[in-house]
Amino acid sequence: MAGDERVGALAALAGFDLMTVNRLRVLLAHHQPEEAFAVAAGRRPPHPAVEPMLRGEVRRAWVTSAGRRDPPDWARRCALLGVGAVTAADADFPGVLRNDPQPPAVLFWRGQWATLDTRRVGIVGTRNATSLGCAFAAALGRDLATEGVTVVSGLAKGIDGAAHRGVLSTDRARAVGVVANGLDAPYPRMHGELWHAVGADGLLLSEWPPGTQPEKFRFPLRNRIIAALSELLVVVESRERGGSLTTAREALERGVEVMAVPGSINNRAASGTNQLIRDGATPVTEVADIMLALGLDHRHLQGSRFDPRPLPRGVEAGVLDRCRADPCTLDSIVADLGLSVTEAAMTLARLERSGWLRESGGWFEEVASW
Amino acid sequence: MIASIPSASVLGVRGSPVTVEVHVGDGLPGYRMVGMPDTACRESRDRVRAAVISSELKWPARAITVNLAPTSQRKSGAGLDLAIAIGVLVASEQLAPADVAGQAFFGELGLDGSLRRVPGVAPMVAALGAFDVVVPLANASEARVAALGRPRVATSLGDVVQALVGERPWDEFPAADPDDEMAPELPDLRDVRGQPVARQALEIAAAGGHHLLLVGSPGSGKTMLAQRLAGLLPPLGRADSLETTMVHSAAGLRLPPGGFFRNAPFRAPHHTTSVVAMVGGGSHQLRPGEVSLATNGVMFMDELGEFARAALEGLREPLEEGVVRVARAAARATMPARFLLVAATNPCPCGGGPPGSCQCDDVARARYLRRLSGPLADRFDLRVVVQRPAVDQLLGAEAGECSAVVRNRVMAARTLAAGRRGKLNAALTPDELDVFAPLAGDARSVLRNEIERERLTGRGYHRIRRVARTIADLEAAGAVASVTDDSTVTLAHVELALSMRASLRGRAASDSRWIA
Repeated sequence: MAGDERVGALAALAGFDLMTVNRLRVLLAHHQPEEAFAVAAGRRPPHPAVEPMLRGEVRRAWVTSAGRRDPPDWARRCALLGVGAVTAADADFPGVLRNDPQPPAVLFWRGQWATLDTRRVGIVGTRNATSLGCAFAAALGRDLATEGVTVVSGLAKGIDGAAHRGVLSTDRARAVGVVANGLDAPYPRMHGELWHAVGADGLLLSEWPPGTQPEKFRFPLRNRIIAALSELLVVVESRERGGSLTTAREALERGVEVMAVPGSINNRAASGTNQLIRDGATPVTEVADIMLALGLDHRHLQGSRFDPRPLPRGVEAGVLDRCRADPCTLDSIVADLGLSVTEAAMTLARLERSGWLRESGGWFEEVASW
Repeated sequence: MIASIPSASVLGVRGSPVTVEVHVGDGLPGYRMVGMPDTACRESRDRVRAAVISSELKWPARAITVNLAPTSQRKSGAGLDLAIAIGVLVASEQLAPADVAGQAFFGELGLDGSLRRVPGVAPMVAALGAFDVVVPLANASEARVAALGRPRVATSLGDVVQALVGERPWDEFPAADPDDEMAPELPDLRDVRGQPVARQALEIAAAGGHHLLLVGSPGSGKTMLAQRLAGLLPPLGRADSLETTMVHSAAGLRLPPGGFFRNAPFRAPHHTTSVVAMVGGGSHQLRPGEVSLATNGVMFMDELGEFARAALEGLREPLEEGVVRVARAAARATMPARFLLVAATNPCPCGGGPPGSCQCDDVARARYLRRLSGPLADRFDLRVVVQRPAVDQLLGAEAGECSAVVRNRVMAARTLAAGRRGKLNAALTPDELDVFAPLAGDARSVLRNEIERERLTGRGYHRIRRVARTIADLEAAGAVASVTDDSTVTLAHVELALSMRASLRGRAASDSRWIA
């Protein structure tokens, strides 16, 4: 089948040694994929624009790579994985990426292209998120999906995964996952199920052919695609220097509005988002803020959900307030509120049992009601 | 002529009698030593010869044969020097057999005839109970610990010989320095600012003999806290003191002034400590390891996650049985190893901190957790998170309770526990717990709930009951008048026990892993 050959050639070509996004883009701009493979392998004369690239080291590396990477073989592999490939010449290639300053040369995909046809919001954040941050990301994902908005994210652990999980908890699986490795092996492995769910009902995208390892340098490249695919980017939690901030920067370069969720000044995982807000990003404290920014109807979202948890009183209320401000240990509750250790332990345990707090590694965090 | 002089060597923490037989006979002048001496022991020939000559005695120019009986057992070290020298003197008829009868000799000789300190004098003396013992002055206090009579001390071979023939009295036994009677200053709990939970955990650990794990980021005071645990333990009883002293003597360590360990020993092996140094062993001579040295006291393992896996595995048997059995091809030994384990660890390799501040990758964190959650994690009844105290607490003038006050409560609680089954609460079996730690109704339902939520295993359930029993005992001990019925464990006790079982954070915030 012609389509398969094309995918095979692209998968083989994209995995060449010394292949970069720019080189591949130049190559594919002047040759059809199958022809491009032959050119790179040195079996066909190159287009004059391609010719200067095919010299020295690159030429040698590509000729050897071509010997190792057999297009029909890759076509079979991709067909087995259900992975397709599109270039800028294909109709499926996302329109927003066509005009991107740094468009991907090829996109390997799995799932439904229709997922991209609606309004799109990117939700990104740190991998070492607090449970509160994850809960908020999940709530955003859930509410946006319910409203028919597609959520673009990176399927990483922490905020990304939580947002996707939120989306998949609804019956409208509007999730786009852009990943930094090949589509053959889920990364991180703990997100295997999530990954397959997105690949089935949503859309999984990668710039790299199957078999590519998630090396460090691929993540910033992946981030630019997330930024480019989003109409609006929400950073839920980020360190003062984090991958999600590079996504935010890529978004700003593309004129995509960046929004950020504010956090406690003592929360390290919120230092990056607080910085974004100081720099002018719109704060997000509920999903209506995003709907408003998208120009969608948000009025029906007002009003809170029913919270079945018994309202804490007296000492419990004081302890919960203290944990709301920042995660606390038993020690800090005892010291700050002047309780006895036993009393503090009992109060925290009661709050945990009634679902207001969550303990992890000795730290007590508020469980959000969203 | 033949001489037979009793002495001893050390195997593990026990002395084993060795008879030094010396034969001086006709033949080419020479010196042969048989009976499995090791190198240091074999080299005694040159030391003994020089010492005899320097002491203005005669080295017989005849065939000398030294036999160390029992011959099947390996002898090591220089502790037999003095016995060999005396044997040579008796066999060459410079000393009458009657002068040395009923006496055993220990000590290493210098070339000038001086007597030097040898390790393991206390267990060796104990092994030769029926004899009067002659030991170097430097070993005097150790010998007195174990000797039935008054040990005889001397500073040189010449003095020993003169004292044996009655030309001079034995050396004065060193008078105990009045300062020595004072226990050495232990770090006091008063120095710890803040940390209310950890302080209470130390108290519970001391009162019930519960092993304690302190989890906290660097600089949170884990080490400082752990060092104060030994000071909370009651002074050692006579039998415990003797046992600890024997072990220290066998390891060749200096004993506290006065000879006896009056306070619980505190051992803090570094995390690079090898398995053998940890559990004891060695190919020639089975030496007690850290687990034995910590007997009746506290063993503190800082950076628990950094210890070699094998060293941690080696702790299993001691923690379970209270003894460690070390066997080598040539010998085997059983050594005591009953200690209170207190360990400190970071929550993850980067040091952790509040949620959202860890920057370890999954693999590193999983590896770290795996090591912690291995054989050892199960043994900790108490797992407490230690946080850096706030500035106000650090600088605050308010000092906490001092160790002496806490120790009094600990001793009272221990008395309560001993009144039940004669053992610490940490050693209560589940059956005994049913009898001695009946749960109040609400406490039971809280524990049932925890088990149903799979946050508590069956073993963890017993652990909580033991700790709760100790907490109740401490409360009863602290009460001015014992009006409360101390037999029931209430909800408050159980909740406090539960709060001292912090989970170690797993990969995601959502799956905190319980390691018991």
